[in-house]
Amino acid sequence: MTLEIIVLVKQVPDSQEVVIDPVTMNLNRSLTRNVTNRADENALEAALRIKDKTGAHVTVVSMGPPQAETTMIECLARGADRAILASDRFFGGADTYPTGLTLAATVSKIGKFDIIFAGEETSDSSTGHVGPGVAEFLDIDQITYASSVEYKDGYVIAERELEDGTEVVKVPTPILVTVLLNSNAPRRQTLRRKIDAIKKGFEVWDHDKIGLQPEHVGVRGSPTIVRRMRPIKERERAAKKIDLSAVGDLVKELYEKNIVKLEDE
Amino acid sequence: MAGIKPATPVAKPEEYRNVFVFLETREDKLVRPALEMIGVGKRIAEKVNEKLYCILLGGNIKDQAKEAVSYGCDVVLGAESPVLSTYRTLPYSHIISDFVKTEKPNIFLIPATRNGRDLASRIAVSCEAGVTADCTELDVEQDTRILLANRPTYGESMLAEILCRKHRPQMATARPGIFPVPEKIKSPKGEIRIKEVNVDKSLLRKEVLEFRKKNVVDLTAAKVVVSGGMGLGKPDGFKLIQELADELGGVVGATRPTADMGWISRDHQVGQTGQTVRPRLYVAVGISGKIQHIMGMKNSETILSINTDPNAEIFKYSDYVMVEDLYKAVPAIIQEVRKYKAEHKVAPVEQSK
Repeated sequence: MTLEIIVLVKQVPDSQEVVIDPVTMNLNRSLTRNVTNRADENALEAALRIKDKTGAHVTVVSMGPPQAETTMIECLARGADRAILASDRFFGGADTYPTGLTLAATVSKIGKFDIIFAGEETSDSSTGHVGPGVAEFLDIDQITYASSVEYKDGYVIAERELEDGTEVVKVPTPILVTVLLNSNAPRRQTLRRKIDAIKKGFEVWDHDKIGLQPEHVGVRGSPTIVRRMRPIKERERAAKKIDLSAVGDLVKELYEKNIVKLEDE
Repeated sequence: MAGIKPATPVAKPEEYRNVFVFLETREDKLVRPALEMIGVGKRIAEKVNEKLYCILLGGNIKDQAKEAVSYGCDVVLGAESPVLSTYRTLPYSHIISDFVKTEKPNIFLIPATRNGRDLASRIAVSCEAGVTADCTELDVEQDTRILLANRPTYGESMLAEILCRKHRPQMATARPGIFPVPEKIKSPKGEIRIKEVNVDKSLLRKEVLEFRKKNVVDLTAAKVVVSGGMGLGKPDGFKLIQELADELGGVVGATRPTADMGWISRDHQVGQTGQTVRPRLYVAVGISGKIQHIMGMKNSETILSINTDPNAEIFKYSDYVMVEDLYKAVPAIIQEVRKYKAEHKVAPVEQSK
C-alpha cells in the first residue's frame, strides 16, 4: 500500500521586503515579491524524504489566489507528485478558521491520507493555527514543532522542540505534523521536473468542486475581523550618547537610578 | 471533535460570561506564561465585573490550583488523571473543549507557548470560536464585553486590533514575556473544583518516549541581560559579554545569527524565535538591531547599546548609546562597575577572634 502524504503550503510575500501602502495601511501586494513560505518548504522536504525511503505519493495542497501557481509548480519541480490549488474569489479574506476548513475539506475530497505535513507557521500571519485547525476538522492527532520526523510501520516518530527541551513522540497514522522552520535543507527543483510540471500542470479547485458553501469560507466564514491597524508607536528613548570618557558617569547613573542594583549579584 | 463544520455565531452572547485562562504546567509547576495569563485575565474580568476561571489539567494538580488562587483566580476548574501528567494534544483539547462548552466563557486566553499554540486552534475549531494569535495587547470594551485582541503584523511595524463579535468564546493566545506576572493577592479566596476524569483510550495513542531537558537559561526572569551580536567578530567575544554580565549580576543573551554560527548555544537567544525579555537593563553589544531581535527585547526598561555603526537600528530603541569599539567600551564599563562596587559595598563585618 503506497503511503499517501499531503503537504499544506502557502505562498506569502517575501518577508524581507514587505511594502506597506502609506494611504491604505495595507500590504502593497503588487510591489512585494511572492515566495513559498519557508517553513512549508521544510514541510515538503520532510515529506519527500519519506517518499525517498518508502515510495510514498506526495500531494501538495494550497489555498490561494491564481498567482500561487508559481508555488505549485515549484513544489512539483522539487518532487511532489500532484498539486492542488484551492482557489476561489469566495476564499479571500479568510481567517484561520475558514482557512483550516477549506484545506480540510480539500484534503477530505482527495480521499485517504496517512500523513499531512505543514510548516510550523507562515512568515506573514505567524499564527501557527492552521495546521492544528485542519487536524481538528479531520479529527486526527497532531505533532507540532517537529525538528525531525521518521515514518516506520504505521507510526510517525518525531522530535518536538519545546521551550525547555526536546520531546520524542510516537503516534500512529493518520496524523498531522507541523515542521520547524529550517529543520532541514529543502532540495532544489530540477529542470527536468520543472518542465514536466509546467507540461502536466496542477489542479485548481473552486468551492463548488470541493463542496463548500460560499458563506462558510473566506471573509464571510471568519469569526474574527481586523477592526483597525495602527502603527506601533515605540516608546521614545533618549539615545543619550556616551563616549569612553563618560563611562564612569554612566555607571554611576545606572546605580543611582536603580537601573542596576548592588544586590544584583 | 469531528466535523468539517462552519463556525456558527451564538444566539445569545449575553449568556457567555467570565474570563477563562488555560494554565500550562511543566513538571507539575505553573509556567511563567500561565501566571502572565492570570494577570491579564484578572484585569479583564475585573473591568467588566466578572470572574476569572483557570483551567488546570495534570496528574496531581492540588498545589498548582492553590498557587493559581494565590495569584487571583476566582475559580479553578481542574481535571486530574495520571494520563494527563504530560501535555498531549487530544486528551487536553477534548477535556478543555468540554469545560468550555459546559461553562460558556465570554473570553478564553491561552499562553502562546509551543504547547499553547498546539492546543488553541483545536479548541477554537471544536467550539466554533474565533482565536487571535500571539497578542501583545489585550483589553475589553466595558459596555459590549468585546475582547480587543491586538497583535503585531507586517514585521512588527503595525498593530492590528482584532475582534470576534458574534462567536463565543472570544479566544486569544498571548505572547509570552509581554504581560507582567501579577503580585500574589492578600486574602486569596478562590474556589477549587477538581474532578477526576477517565480518558478514552482512543485519545491516548500518542506515546511520549522521552524528554531531553535542556539546561534552560531562563532569560525572562533576569533583571539584567547583556547580549552579544555579530559585532563581536568571534566566539571568544562572548567571554567579555559573560564578564560584564557577571559584574552586573545578569545573564548572557545572544542574537540568532551568533547562535546559528555556533558561537553560543541557542538557549541564550533573544528575539522572535528565541526568548522575549523585559529586564531592568538590557545591554546590546555589537548588535545591529534587526527587527527579529528587537521584538525580543524592546520592552526592556532601560537599553544601552554599543556599536561602531552610528546608524545602527538598535540606537533608535536605546536610552544610552555608545558609538565605540566594544572591545574598548565593555572593558571600560567593567572597570567602572568594579570601581563603583568597591566604593559603595558595605565593609564586611570583622570576625571576632
